[in-house]
Amino acid sequence: MQKFIPSLLVAAVSVGLTGCLQSEKQAEKVEFNKNPYPSTYKALPQQTTLLRNATVLTGTGERIEQADVLMIGGKISQVGKGLSAQGAVEVDASDKWITPGIIDVHSHLGVYPSPSAESHSDGNEATQPNTSEVWAEHSVWPQDPGFNRARAGGITTLQILPGSANLFGGRGVTLLNVPSHTMQGMKFPEAPYGLKMACGENPKRVYGGKRVSPSTRMGNMAGYRMAWAEAVEYKNAWARYEADYAAGKNPEAPKRDIELDTLKGVLDGEILIHNHCYKAEEMAMMIDLSKEFGYHAGTFHHAIEAYKIADDLAKNGNCAAMWPDWWGFKMEAYDMIQENVAVVDAKAGSCAVVHSDSGTTIQRLNQEAGKVMYRANENGFAITPEKAITWITSNAARSLGIQDKTGSLEAGKRADVVVWNGNPFSVYAQAEQVFIEGAKVYDRADSKYQAVSDFSLGQQ
Amino acid sequence: MKLFKSSLIALALASTVANAQSIAITNATVHTMTEQGTLTNATVIIDDGVIKAINPSDVSADTVIDAAGKILTPGLIGALNQIGLVEVGAVSRTRDSSEKKADITFDVSSAFNPKSSVIPYTRKGGITTSIVAPSGGDDMFKGQAFYADLTGDFDSIVSTNTAAIVSLGAKSRGSRATTIVELREKLTNAQEKLAKAKDKKSDKKDDKKSDKKPKDSEIAMNRILEGKQPLVAYVDRATDILALIKIKKDFGINVVLAGAGDAERVAEQIAEAKIPVILGAINNLPSFDALNRSLVTPAKLFDAGVKVSYAVSGDTHNLYMLRFDAGISVANGVSKENALAAVTSNIADTFNIDAGRIAVGKRADLVLWSDDPFELSTRVERIWIEGEETSTSSRQDALRDRYTAKSDMPRAYVK
Repeated sequence: MQKFIPSLLVAAVSVGLTGCLQSEKQAEKVEFNKNPYPSTYKALPQQTTLLRNATVLTGTGERIEQADVLMIGGKISQVGKGLSAQGAVEVDASDKWITPGIIDVHSHLGVYPSPSAESHSDGNEATQPNTSEVWAEHSVWPQDPGFNRARAGGITTLQILPGSANLFGGRGVTLLNVPSHTMQGMKFPEAPYGLKMACGENPKRVYGGKRVSPSTRMGNMAGYRMAWAEAVEYKNAWARYEADYAAGKNPEAPKRDIELDTLKGVLDGEILIHNHCYKAEEMAMMIDLSKEFGYHAGTFHHAIEAYKIADDLAKNGNCAAMWPDWWGFKMEAYDMIQENVAVVDAKAGSCAVVHSDSGTTIQRLNQEAGKVMYRANENGFAITPEKAITWITSNAARSLGIQDKTGSLEAGKRADVVVWNGNPFSVYAQAEQVFIEGAKVYDRADSKYQAVSDFSLGQQ
Repeated sequence: MKLFKSSLIALALASTVANAQSIAITNATVHTMTEQGTLTNATVIIDDGVIKAINPSDVSADTVIDAAGKILTPGLIGALNQIGLVEVGAVSRTRDSSEKKADITFDVSSAFNPKSSVIPYTRKGGITTSIVAPSGGDDMFKGQAFYADLTGDFDSIVSTNTAAIVSLGAKSRGSRATTIVELREKLTNAQEKLAKAKDKKSDKKDDKKSDKKPKDSEIAMNRILEGKQPLVAYVDRATDILALIKIKKDFGINVVLAGAGDAERVAEQIAEAKIPVILGAINNLPSFDALNRSLVTPAKLFDAGVKVSYAVSGDTHNLYMLRFDAGISVANGVSKENALAAVTSNIADTFNIDAGRIAVGKRADLVLWSDDPFELSTRVERIWIEGEETSTSSRQDALRDRYTAKSDMPRAYVK
């Protein structure tokens, strides 16, 4: 792999070449900007808004009938009955349902956009099995019309991930679903990065086909272990440098490695793992792997067999992000059950999430969750709408490390809100109004609030 | 339609007749999909695999089912999927839908596996039969579709050579122009040969050459030209749809549009040409061939008078979701009756099959739903295929029960 040495580092290193004698004057400390592509998102024009008299699912497991939701200054101010606020825009939401903005933890919008085109196929850097150095945000085409379609389905926040060709696919980025002509304009401020990892069939097929490791599942595991071992050394080297520097010495900084920066970020707890991993035996090993090298195994995506190890996932604090019913497209998706999400959810401390991985179903994650609820309830579960909504709101926020900012309708949180035409778990449900940070970003009844991408504009 | 297994059916019926149990489904809301419309508190009698009576004056049957508060519809019909041909998508040895050298003669029905685990799972969606289509190979013709029921029995195939499948439109290499020209050429050549053969027949010449057996590919082309089977064309862009409309007019053949992403732009012309359309009701992401498709495309086509059917796009394992797609189309402007027709009677009409309606004498493919068939909360309560009640339980249920059971032993002992 090519190693990059930014000029800043070269300068720092050359100054420090003479050694680390304590008497010597310390060179400037070598530090890196961890946020070089910062969010430029600004809330859209918004005003104090009072949504009146709706059935409210708070995202915290509560359901309140005939309740009001008050949004002031982009935050949830209050949720309850008979609220009032001076100068508020009032929306009569009688017979309607209100939920937190929907969050999809697994999307490839922008990196595999529509229309499907070779020129825009930017989701898999399938050139080597470890590409922790690539960042999905650098591939995002913000004009993907899919973002607008998803917003009409109530999606306010989504994580864009690299694909699953590689053991380490690179960093994922969490975006707000606001229209922007730059990626930075959509970037969720202060959301942690994710690191996409992939188990199973995809990496071994992609590289085995090229006669390169990994070509087996044991090859996959070896690839992860070698990478983490190197990352631990890299982390230690930086720790030594920082300790020596703090002790007043003039140490030489380790050579910066963009790939290892990402893995170190995981070891430091700053970057969250998002692991494409279908099978029970593989998830169990990925948990052990994380303990071997000292990080948290994060969220298992497409966790078709999560129901087989639901206890272990809950005990280790892993989220499992699942489809309600996709299966059979490959061997590792053969053991799907329609109650998978419900089985995971039933364990104390669990974190069950419904995700899309699709430009089509991201438009109706509410119904994806609904399918799980109804099928599970036919088979011995007693899941309520106020519970099911957590799979696509608060639990999803927990998976992305933004649960203190969004994912529920609690005072002080971002006012990311959806008004539905009725029960969101109906096949006839539609999002009528969508708010991001208190600003209306979609209105089904008002074309003024229906964004159109540059690509679609002016087409015949 | 050719019922190649008619003798098998006779045998099967003979064996069921011995213990044939007539069934009366009473007090149901019945969506007949015929001129009778929707009947409330209605009775449907099933006997010998067919619908024997609707609302008879005297209800006498071996079994009487009280379906009060429930909905009875024809069994839903899958279209243009690979059920029974693909068990696991990425496992090559379980895939029989494609063949590199496939041409118009590629009849994939002999590969159908009624024991595929996809079949009982699909019954959970109230689907009783399906038009199964090959994926084909490099040729523009992908082969012959066939029609099968989802009983899971070894005699599931109802008919073969149900439709010829052709794929037109955008290409990764070369120009779409060559394909449409080639299709016209093939049809023209076959038409000329057919005309010559007819001339010779009428001349009654004892010419040995005229007795030469036609090639399989010629027979296949002739089926299209003689109106014995429709030509199903995968196509999206409006210009390609118009080219197909012209082909239908010029050759007098039955054309069916599949995909039809850009159809709403030429909806009037499609309706006027009486060409049925099969589409994915929730496909609303643009491609360059389908810049205008949206969730309201089905409603616009219905409004223009097009006979629209729905097919679940993508993986066949998702076929069970067909009813949800229909529901989503209702939320986007299609009437409930039209949406139900799109997954029952319209498909039956498009392929000229005995299904999709509840009428006396029709095959008894029926589904009793707990409520509105499209709603997520609704479930299939009972399902009959050719009059025989079948189950919706599947391998997925067995796995769920295994892993939710209480046991001190490894799960492998829970069966």
